[in-house]
Amino acid sequence: MKNEELAPHIKDITRALNGKVSEEEVERELQQWIGSYGVNLAEAKRSIVKKLGGDPQSLFTRTEKKIEDITGLERNLELKARILSINEKDIEVDGEPKKIHYGIFGDDTGTIPFTIWEPLPEPLDKGDTVHVINAYANTWNDKPQVNVGSRAKMEMLDDDEVPEFKREPQRCNIIDIREGMSQLIVLGRVLSVEKKIVQTENGEKELFSGILADETGKVQFSAWHDFELKEDQVVEIEGGYVRSWRGIPQFSFDDNAQVKTFDDDELPPKDVLEESGMMTISQLARRGGAVDAIVDAVMIDIKNGSGLIFRCPDCNRVVQKSACRIHGKVDGEPDLRVKGILDDGTGALTVIISREETEEVLGYDLDEAMQLARDRMDHGIIKDELEDKLIAQPLRVKGNVTCDDYGLMLIANQVREKKVNMEEEARKLLDEVRV
Amino acid sequence: MSMIQREVAWRLFAKEFNQSTMEISGNENERTPSYVVTPLGAMVNRVYMVGVLTETENLGTPEDPMWRARVSDPTGTYFVTAGQYQPGAATTISSLEPPSFVAVVGKASIYRPDDETVLTSLRCECVKEVSEELRDYWILEASRSLKKRLEAMEEAQRMEEVSVEELVKLGYDADLAEGIKRAALHYSSPSMDTYWSMLEDSLMYVLPEYERTPVEKEPVEEEEVEESDLEELILDVMQEMEDEHQNGIDYGDIMNEVMDRENISESEFEEAVKNLRSLGHVYEPALGSLKRIY
Repeated sequence: MKNEELAPHIKDITRALNGKVSEEEVERELQQWIGSYGVNLAEAKRSIVKKLGGDPQSLFTRTEKKIEDITGLERNLELKARILSINEKDIEVDGEPKKIHYGIFGDDTGTIPFTIWEPLPEPLDKGDTVHVINAYANTWNDKPQVNVGSRAKMEMLDDDEVPEFKREPQRCNIIDIREGMSQLIVLGRVLSVEKKIVQTENGEKELFSGILADETGKVQFSAWHDFELKEDQVVEIEGGYVRSWRGIPQFSFDDNAQVKTFDDDELPPKDVLEESGMMTISQLARRGGAVDAIVDAVMIDIKNGSGLIFRCPDCNRVVQKSACRIHGKVDGEPDLRVKGILDDGTGALTVIISREETEEVLGYDLDEAMQLARDRMDHGIIKDELEDKLIAQPLRVKGNVTCDDYGLMLIANQVREKKVNMEEEARKLLDEVRV
Repeated sequence: MSMIQREVAWRLFAKEFNQSTMEISGNENERTPSYVVTPLGAMVNRVYMVGVLTETENLGTPEDPMWRARVSDPTGTYFVTAGQYQPGAATTISSLEPPSFVAVVGKASIYRPDDETVLTSLRCECVKEVSEELRDYWILEASRSLKKRLEAMEEAQRMEEVSVEELVKLGYDADLAEGIKRAALHYSSPSMDTYWSMLEDSLMYVLPEYERTPVEKEPVEEEEVEESDLEELILDVMQEMEDEHQNGIDYGDIMNEVMDRENISESEFEEAVKNLRSLGHVYEPALGSLKRIY
């Protein structure tokens, strides 16, 4: 773990020990427990406090923290923050529909994503300042976030009680865009844009969404104000922020942002940028998904539920032993797909290949696959053929990559064998090695 | 909750893997994975490799199989196992005929039968017969991966104290930086020159000027070509040396032994070996070594 990431934990431990032990000593201990013994962070903190004569419980007593000090392990977190963005989301808890809110908190030290799991005591809006007591923090994608649960309390504060977070706007290549970023300056070409009307708490709103690209990659954008964006235009947006929508990070900006148009030759033409977005799987994991990404990787596993499958006519779920999980015995409708694991040596992700692309891989269509399975009296034959064609095969796969608690998933809309000039690549590497 | 991430499959040459003596044990309840840490700082839970299957053996019974296979790359040999908990892999291994090119996905493990011996192996998750082309592609991938670790390790060796943070600042993944730090603490400094030349040799292997007899799945048998006396002698010598060199016998050792017994030139020896290879009597399980095919 990086030293700067350890710093807030060192503060926690020193505080729990009432300053009886120096931060240097705590740091040495922590490095040893984590670095040398590989003990997990929570256990290491507890054990160190105990070892150095403190009460581990005091690690969890209520502490008011600044956002930059939040580690993701806090159990009784107190926080004064400004709401930089807030959105509503419908989820299902134990089969019951529930409304939750999520967004980004900010103070003078930084910003952090939050989720409010209970109904709001009073409506909250962007720009409001709140005092949160008894919240807890966890991490998602290695980044801390704040949860306001049923034990928590929230009170409104006067506007001047939370200093504004004034970070200088930062320039950012599109490939480096990550969830939770704010105050970004992004230069890109508009690959597509369309106007949508969406329902929000405050009634109908206009939303202009599309895809923005530079040489490094592509990102979905949402403009909550009509900047008269046009397809193929090169623009620079100052003051945008990033949040995840349906598992894909999205670059959002509103009337607080400034949009400047640039000369056309500032960026390569549209058809070149369409092909940008080549990413390694570790980049995708750090970023938390991407729109229209291109991944070079090897298929190293094909999961059950691949090949010739049958779907419930009512809910589209995959039917097992001619029974749907929800609708019982049904006449399943045949379909083809691949559910596999792609690995590029930097990371791994689940890939879903649609019927059209699966037919392309097989070289025949669904009807023929059905015929083949009937002839051999074995549905598994199609999965076998797919394994034969795809496993160990270097592939170039295009599609949207979503990110949730179960990891990364690439919904492929194009799958091609990767062509490599082995000799050329080997010579290039050899030249680098021999320098 | 933090995201469940599937462990990456490392492209790793056998030599680096087999020189590993360090492991980090995971905990199944906490779902923390185990790793083998290589001398160059790869923290390996899973490996993807493509090489030559040189031997298969069932150490169990037909009902309760425990297959062990040897799979070679240009630098050394992986031991691959598949038992009753890997039924698919075990069945595939039982049906494969060495020598053949195979791709293997497996979980890394270290076994210490006694205080001095450290044995590394892969528990096979998936194995498949593949083309020679895919093996060459794998060598490229493994070379790229090795080069990155060598460069990171050299950066680390320049530091007074290895710092994960500094390595990340230099552009290395946090996982690799972590592994480098652990490796630097555990291993006395690895011989970088050996690894650099291993990398160079492996890349040469992919080039056309590296003389490699094209693999023919079915050895030509129609015309029984008789081996010459010299070729007979080479085969005899190899048979004698075989017991001590299960992984293949060093090319130079065979040549020295043969030249001791018969007054021949180096090029005569080379010519004879080339013939033996094209007749399918010997093959090259790893760079610079030979093995008989029976």
